[in-house]
Amino acid sequence: MHKSTCRQPWTAVPSTLLLAFAVLTGSALHAESDLTPPSREYYAYVCAESEDEVALVRFGPSGIEVTKTITVGSFPAETEGPHGINISPGGRYWYVSIAHGNPFGSIHKYETGTDEWLGDVRVGMFPATLDVAATTGLLFVVNSDFYGDHVPSTISVVETATMTEIAQFESGTMPHGARFSRDGRKLYSANMMDDELVEIDALRFEVGRRLKLGRTTHSASGHGRHGDHADSPAGHGAHGQPSVEPSWVTSPTAGGLVYVTALSGNAIYEVDTSAWKVSRRLETPAPGPYNAAVAPDERLLVVTYKKGDSVGFWDLEEGREVARVPTTRRIPHGVAITSDGRFSLVTVEGVGGEPGVVEVYDNGAFRRVAQIDIGKQAGGIALWERN
Amino acid sequence: MPKEAEDEPRRAEALLRVEVDVTIPNPPVESVEIVGLPGAFYSGTHLTLQARVVDITDVVRDDVEVVYSSSNSGVAAPDGFGGLDLVAPGTTTLTATAEDATSQVDIRVARNPTQRIELTASAEEARTGDVVWFEAVGRDASGNEVEDLPIRFLAAGQAANRILAPGATAQIEQDGAFVAERSGIYTVTALAGGHSDSVPVRVTPRRVNKEIEFVGQGKVHDRRTSDLWVWEGTDGRDYAITGTWGAEGHAYIWDVTNPESIVLIDAVRVDARTVNDVKVSEDGRIAVISREGASNRKNGFVVLDVSEPQVGVRILSRFDDQLRGGVHNVFIHEEHVYALSNGRRFDVISIEDPTQPHRVGRFELDTPGHSIHDVWIVGGVAFSSNWEDGVVAIDVGGAGMGGAPNNPVKLGSYAYPSGWNHAAYPYRSESTGKFYVIAGDEAFPYGELGRDPRAAPPRAAGWIHVISWDDWENPREVARYQVPEAGTHNLWIEDDIMYVAYYNGGLRVVDVSGDLRGDLYRQGREIGMFLPYDSQALVPNSPFVWGPQPYKGHIFFSDWHSGLWAVKLKDPEDPNRIIGEPH
Repeated sequence: MHKSTCRQPWTAVPSTLLLAFAVLTGSALHAESDLTPPSREYYAYVCAESEDEVALVRFGPSGIEVTKTITVGSFPAETEGPHGINISPGGRYWYVSIAHGNPFGSIHKYETGTDEWLGDVRVGMFPATLDVAATTGLLFVVNSDFYGDHVPSTISVVETATMTEIAQFESGTMPHGARFSRDGRKLYSANMMDDELVEIDALRFEVGRRLKLGRTTHSASGHGRHGDHADSPAGHGAHGQPSVEPSWVTSPTAGGLVYVTALSGNAIYEVDTSAWKVSRRLETPAPGPYNAAVAPDERLLVVTYKKGDSVGFWDLEEGREVARVPTTRRIPHGVAITSDGRFSLVTVEGVGGEPGVVEVYDNGAFRRVAQIDIGKQAGGIALWERN
Repeated sequence: MPKEAEDEPRRAEALLRVEVDVTIPNPPVESVEIVGLPGAFYSGTHLTLQARVVDITDVVRDDVEVVYSSSNSGVAAPDGFGGLDLVAPGTTTLTATAEDATSQVDIRVARNPTQRIELTASAEEARTGDVVWFEAVGRDASGNEVEDLPIRFLAAGQAANRILAPGATAQIEQDGAFVAERSGIYTVTALAGGHSDSVPVRVTPRRVNKEIEFVGQGKVHDRRTSDLWVWEGTDGRDYAITGTWGAEGHAYIWDVTNPESIVLIDAVRVDARTVNDVKVSEDGRIAVISREGASNRKNGFVVLDVSEPQVGVRILSRFDDQLRGGVHNVFIHEEHVYALSNGRRFDVISIEDPTQPHRVGRFELDTPGHSIHDVWIVGGVAFSSNWEDGVVAIDVGGAGMGGAPNNPVKLGSYAYPSGWNHAAYPYRSESTGKFYVIAGDEAFPYGELGRDPRAAPPRAAGWIHVISWDDWENPREVARYQVPEAGTHNLWIEDDIMYVAYYNGGLRVVDVSGDLRGDLYRQGREIGMFLPYDSQALVPNSPFVWGPQPYKGHIFFSDWHSGLWAVKLKDPEDPNRIIGEPH
């Protein structure tokens, strides 16, 4: 049974009980005092990484509910870890990365609506974030290899009609986050352990440009320990110590700006992809910015603070956080903004046996207006335009 | 490209697509070689030919047709089925062809001096499942043994009359090992060059069946139970520790001194969703529990002080360095923890000071896409289970090959085609002294995920592979234990009895005494089975047995849906009672 609040928050429930108020500061983005209920329904597919489930969550005038849970993976007695999720550009399919395998993870394809499983393909180590290019239909997934030795990992390219991996090329150490440019020619991703943003040539399947965001320190032994025996049996696997750990990159704005969260750098980097340079570095007042999304009007940036158990709302014109709301449980993870810009849907992992949570925030009032429990360790989230 | 690149938010699926059929052939064969020929060839005999085929990538291929021909079919003639009839004295050139590769070998066929075949058996009577060893020699006119005479064994017979439509009932392998699945009278025949000899053998039912009766249960109904370990505490009482799966990171400590009354005495909770494995040190003082699904994604394992369970179990230390991806299984051996790291390798961590664990070594295969699922250590040799890479034996100090915890040395490996290798239990037979590794599968090929407590549990497949492994370089799979329509998980062997957690198939207890050949299930070696039905279980009345351990006359096992169980074997009330049909 899923636990929810705010089934009809605008009419039936005292706001003091249900609305999480933000810490607000003066800004051009004014917090609206009145909440306007949603006039339509929104759907999101959400991963529960430690439940091996994907939940289909509906939020709308009648509140929020889990309309369906889809068990994913292929090994009932193992936790396989659905991590990243996305919808095909036409909205017909959803794709989920299954992080754990033997040893390689996989991408599974489902039809939206029916949620019928259509196929899968094995990719690299711990596939995480994925995106599908609207122009080519190719799916790119970063093989984050979170738990291996910190050696360069890869990005897989999947042809989605046949679910065939057609390429796998090296990107960097622990790639995470992946978002296409609007024309599908470029993919942006962050290499967490290399402190860098990369721009992938999505037609040539190779890294085109790298942008250093921090100063990774490398040990004397350098990269690479493979084979039966480590060169130093008692040695440690960390070959590079990142200084900022970029963990996410947003989809490029119309003007070609992307925003990169720096998990341990406690900063957000605004990168001008045309000039290929950092145009602004925004210090975050809360630790551990992890995922982020830009609203359609490109004025608002919503950030999850993984180490700060809160959600931040940033005025991009002024370059400062205008509101921050604590999450209901610990470890916020993903964020997606509805296509009309009105709401942000945030996932919160929770700890141990706690359920994961999908929280809905009003982007005008910077308030949480709904929440619902899903399976353990809520993570990847993708909005589905049902109609 | 779309006409409007800025056409947000949705565009059609890929707008341009060209499909091209691509055929990828296997690499061409580079060489073929006839191998395994005897030292002498005698007219009137028959050989089975073998060839070694290697392609241009240096892969030995067994999927390429080999065609044999002879330059003089009056001397030797291939039979079209991979055999060679040696027709008459003379010389001929044998040619093997695989794709475009050929090789030749000249042979000289001599007159067959054999005058008679002598066949002897190691026993005249046996039970189903017992291996009877046959030896055959050819004698010439002087009574001397004819060297290199190719002798073929055949077995035929009649199952006991009361067994109707018995199907295949017995087998003999060409090393002379005969084993019957059904009781009856059988005749083994040795053939060579028109000479033969036959010996009958009487096979009786094995009659090892016992009943398994319920003794006690430590109920866990609100979450799934994973592995277990039962041990004698320093206070002389008996304890068990069980893990939990997909829950809140608990390990439960039970007092099982009286198995009829299993008492939960403590619970340890760590930051994890799954405590998949639990192990206790040889002296009963230290336990190690594995972690998966830690909220901070730093999994590793946790070391517990279990020296005084009645007083309480304490966490001594946590270790997650390079083990953050999840530790699925662990083993404790001589103050070292062997812990799986992210399914890729095992790390060796010293717990000589259990409050200060530190890594001393690691072992990782170098095969493409290698993966590891389990490791078990006996006598300083680690046996890892590696899915497609099969079972790997590694010297960690006991094999005399230079291995040590800080320097694991690979001894050998054995893989089988399914790639389902999940567990391995090394065992030296008490009755024969032979060394086996009993490998278990894990597979769920039917596509059901079944995690919904309201739904039926998934169905597993897979079986037990008996690997004869007296020579590290020459492991050989000699037998199987396969329960139809069910699948294996963990196993334990003690006193020549194998205990298998068979998921939906419940607990299985199997007689593995003596030599092992053929299908142990069909031979009537199963001593008993127990299905832990529990109407209050997480999934009611749905056995899903995870792991067994025999202990002080009882059998403890964990069930995914219902917790810890204790059962015991007892003689059947009616020894003549037959369930189904007799063997």
